[in-house]
Amino acid sequence: MLETVIFFLFAAVAVVAGLAILLSTNIVRMAYWLIAMLISVAGLYFLMGAYFLGVIQILVYVGGVAVLLVFGVMLTSRQLAPRLRPGPGEALWLVVVATVLLIGLILSVTHARFDQGAIVASNSVAEIGHSLLGDFLGPFELASVLLLVALLGAAYLARPKAPVQGAQQRKGTAI
Amino acid sequence: MIGLTPYLVLAAILVVLGIAIIISKRNAIAMLIGVEFILNAAALNLAAFSRHGIGALSGQTAALFVIVLAAAEAVVALAIFLNFYHTIATVDIDQGDQLKG
Repeated sequence: MLETVIFFLFAAVAVVAGLAILLSTNIVRMAYWLIAMLISVAGLYFLMGAYFLGVIQILVYVGGVAVLLVFGVMLTSRQLAPRLRPGPGEALWLVVVATVLLIGLILSVTHARFDQGAIVASNSVAEIGHSLLGDFLGPFELASVLLLVALLGAAYLARPKAPVQGAQQRKGTAI
Repeated sequence: MIGLTPYLVLAAILVVLGIAIIISKRNAIAMLIGVEFILNAAALNLAAFSRHGIGALSGQTAALFVIVLAAAEAVVALAIFLNFYHTIATVDIDQGDQLKG
């Protein structure tokens, strides 16, 4: 019973956050709603017993990605944000596409008969570690190379090309 | 005890919300937020399947990989957006039409 209540609490927070982002026109508020959604998903991980996953979600997403997004907002939105609200024609298409997709997905999910086993509470970090260095050794190593490439690539892409000149140029176009 | 279906329905709703956000926004960072929604829904599905014994612990491990990939994707995308901003002085993706033939 309590589990159901907690599930619907977190689910409601996630869905409300999504709707708020959809309807909001303030990019900073969107970033904070995103943090609310990420924390509620982490709460769902805790609820289903995937404790390690929940901790990683909070560490990497809330502590890393969300802060990165806020920094991105601060670094880029000098003049007020570009269009954040779709035109009437776009909004119509948006509603049609979203409704059809939502109905289709929910119908297929509720009608599928998954071969559900008993709920297994295998959540120990040790097991995940063995899985990462056993079955998933290849993807694990690939992920480390990918992180290195992303680090170098981001540092290369975001470097200032001609610092002084660029700063003056932006000062000129800012207002 | 909550079964598998509520989690899958919630993930479906989150995916649709993410797609709607990507469609409706013109700000590149707002679109990135939509992508995060979709990736989170996928990870939620993986973890829920893992909990119900489908694929044992692989689901949680795969969800970890999803989180790692999402972090790498966000970093590279933000670097690209910064470059875009330095070039065009906006993050409105409709302005990035210089490659138009």
